[in-house]
Amino acid sequence: MSAPLEWLVLVGIGSPAVLFALLAATSLVNRPLPERWTATLAGTAMTVACAALSLALVLHRATGTGIRLLTYGEWSASYAGGITLEFLVDRLSLAFAALSAAILGVVSAFSNRYLHREAGYNRYFVLLAMFATGMLLVALAGNIAVLFVGWELVGLSSALLVGFFHERPAPVSNALRVLSIYRISDAAMFSAAVLLRHLAGTDSLALLFSGVSVLSTVGLTQTSATSIAVLLIVAVAGKSALLPFSGWLPRAMEGPTPSSAVYYGSLSIHAGCFLLLRSAPLIEHSVVARLLAGGLGAATAIFAAITTRVQSDVKSSLAYAALTQVGIIVVEIALGWYRLAFVHLAGHACFRLLQFLSAPNVLHDLHGMEDAIGDRPALAGGLVDSVSGRMRHRLFLIAIERGFVDSILDRVVVDPFTRLTRRLTTLDRWLCDVVVPAERPRFAEEGEDQDE
Amino acid sequence: MSDARLLLAGIVALPFLVIALSYAPVHVERLRRFAVGSAIVMLLAALVVAVSPSARALSIRSGALTWVPAGEAIIRIDALSAVLLPFAASLWLLTVAVTPRASLDRGGLRRTALATLVTLVSFLTESAVVLLLLSVASVWTFLSALAEPAHRRQRRIAAVYLGCSTVIFGAGVALLISPGMQGTIRETVGLWLIVVAALVRKGIVPFHAWVPEVFDHGRLGPAILFTAPQLGAYITVVLIVPRASPEMLRTIAVLALGTAVYGAALALVQTSARRACGYLFMSQSALVMAGLDCTSVSALAGGLLVWLSAGLAFAGLARCVLVLEARRGRLDLTRYHGGYERMSVLAISFLAMGLACTGFPGTLGFVGEELLVQGAIDLFPVMGFAVVIASALTGLAVVRMYFSLFCGRSDPLTHSGLPLGLKRREAWTFGALVVALIGFGIAPRPLVDSRFAASNEILQQRRARLAKVERSAGASPRTSGAEDTP
Repeated sequence: MSAPLEWLVLVGIGSPAVLFALLAATSLVNRPLPERWTATLAGTAMTVACAALSLALVLHRATGTGIRLLTYGEWSASYAGGITLEFLVDRLSLAFAALSAAILGVVSAFSNRYLHREAGYNRYFVLLAMFATGMLLVALAGNIAVLFVGWELVGLSSALLVGFFHERPAPVSNALRVLSIYRISDAAMFSAAVLLRHLAGTDSLALLFSGVSVLSTVGLTQTSATSIAVLLIVAVAGKSALLPFSGWLPRAMEGPTPSSAVYYGSLSIHAGCFLLLRSAPLIEHSVVARLLAGGLGAATAIFAAITTRVQSDVKSSLAYAALTQVGIIVVEIALGWYRLAFVHLAGHACFRLLQFLSAPNVLHDLHGMEDAIGDRPALAGGLVDSVSGRMRHRLFLIAIERGFVDSILDRVVVDPFTRLTRRLTTLDRWLCDVVVPAERPRFAEEGEDQDE
Repeated sequence: MSDARLLLAGIVALPFLVIALSYAPVHVERLRRFAVGSAIVMLLAALVVAVSPSARALSIRSGALTWVPAGEAIIRIDALSAVLLPFAASLWLLTVAVTPRASLDRGGLRRTALATLVTLVSFLTESAVVLLLLSVASVWTFLSALAEPAHRRQRRIAAVYLGCSTVIFGAGVALLISPGMQGTIRETVGLWLIVVAALVRKGIVPFHAWVPEVFDHGRLGPAILFTAPQLGAYITVVLIVPRASPEMLRTIAVLALGTAVYGAALALVQTSARRACGYLFMSQSALVMAGLDCTSVSALAGGLLVWLSAGLAFAGLARCVLVLEARRGRLDLTRYHGGYERMSVLAISFLAMGLACTGFPGTLGFVGEELLVQGAIDLFPVMGFAVVIASALTGLAVVRMYFSLFCGRSDPLTHSGLPLGLKRREAWTFGALVVALIGFGIAPRPLVDSRFAASNEILQQRRARLAKVERSAGASPRTSGAEDTP
């Protein structure tokens, strides 16, 4: 491992990982670092990561190499079957990683002031460092195992930050809801990995995402490629809040504003788009997958564009506005406009980050604007104004109820699951009663069942 | 006596010392301190055994309990048991160090030492008869912990299930060790009986109902100590895997995978933290069982690794529940309890150990599950999907428990003076366990390599035994043919 590129990538990923390890260790022993130290260390780690990855991008461009797989050796075992630590380096992955590191640096500096003297200051930075590590692993993963590590770190840190203000019940229950959808996404992605390993005997993303003829390279049939692609699209839909999983997005706004900005404005919500972009060579081979991705993207964009107009708080409104653009990016990928999709993704991530970070000031800014122009700014009308009154009323109802997405998921998935598992619990109790009959009526325990 | 024998004798003597001291008029807190010291010494000595190649050559063979001419190892240290010794010592240390003072008594410390001794000796033997005797001893120790009238029903339920399991195990061992049984239908019946006994003991569906009931309404501490070492898994590795047909192993794996998903799904909706722990144990123990029943080296190594990680992580998680119960009473998952700020170390430890149970990246469980899936993927792809679903559901169940037990409400000001934080002994123990689970998750190679070595040994034994059976089956017709020929 002597090449400068390999060192730069290692430093880029390693610096937030070291920060995470340090902050987590001090939390575990209940000796959190002082705020100033935490801020300095976080700023340094993000700056180093951003500089290293930007340099790596420049170096990669200068040497003109295409896709490179940087292998750092077997991580988990000396035997075959262990996890290999490898990173996939090309223009797309390095650009996304450098962008992520830059955005995380900005958010880290902003958060330092925003959360000054907040009770969970240290916890916030632990989770931000965890997220940074996960995001860079997702961007640069060279095999499914490494990608999965990053994907999981992003998911858990996201859910724990939604529940950041954990002394109130609402953020906590919303965090659990967000995590439920993330787990579906994780399961879909890991299932895709299992299928890929079973069918193609590899978990190398270099082969899968190489851009050359994927099917012949890894020996996949059309049907198997479609199955893997569909599972990946489900994973993307969960992570990027595409329909039918959009319900978690407004719930995720319970977290502190800087985390909402970095997760749901700029990076986490685009992680799905990035994965889709990465796996484009595979999806290209499946018409079904392209139609599915395009359909989901378009439906999400339209739904979010309508819903954003009726939100009563600025963060939810911005979240749905971000979702509109995410839907459009997914459509662009489905259409094969990859370069446009990446430029759109990068631009939108930066723009929405700025909007989210300035959201707490929105009233102040509006007052300033009113003072400057001497009147209230005119509201935009647009397409909705041309819709008839009755139709507009229906659209309003759908938008205000956020498309009934949560209640539909509850009815179709959550309620049957809960009913079934409760019956199985009762069955288990009955099995014990058969063996040793209960000595007295168990009213309390029956009540317990009904509570849940 | 060689150094290895001396070391082993010392390790085994430590629980005896604690048992002996428990009869002396010593204050119970002092007895606990002695037990903690003994457990630490045992852990260090067991680690020396685990890393010392000369200790691993130890084998005391005898023909007294078997008809096999070469005899069998009554006591031996091989690649499998070398790592299980520190595992048993860690469980003992965890138990004695974090048991709340309110539930600490002389009898409990004695039972804990006895249970550790039984576990330790079980991990040292490959004799079916010795394992049967130790199984009886461990069940008796566990049932004696449920002797109080409040747990009478749970004791009876456990007695029925575990009693049946022990009787079936005995019948299976009797058939297995009878002379001339190798390769016959009676050996197969014996193996099936042992399989059923192991499934009951590990709480695999449909023999599982006792587990959540005992966790919920029985005594949680003894239940953890009885279940976490997973003697059922050991019986499977030593007696079943080397002898079983592929169909038998596949049947066990299918039942185990079903249980892994079943346990995780039911853990997600429980209203009692204890019952949720019971279902989580079922799910984790089933994953271990599924891994052990694969004939691929890496899947088996994955199963052995999940055994260690799930055993330690689950025991730690359930101990966290017990510590929390000592401060708050019975824990109901239908409401939020709050208190993170005052018990942050306990909350972080709970989450870290829960995540280690689910195979979260960066923990030992992740490496184990990854090997399990990767090893089984060619022969048994269903395992991959089942592990994915079980892991997703377990993760959700653990985070739900974490949110309910530590978040969701602020501490009432009136009780802000109550000391709810961990004692130094508890904090060090939980901290060390978390560091071990994450440390081996980040740098897993030494442990993974040792599990691969154990896995290779087990599969070599299996191949040698199957080859012998095939040879004798091939020889039989020839023999009969020879007999037919005048």
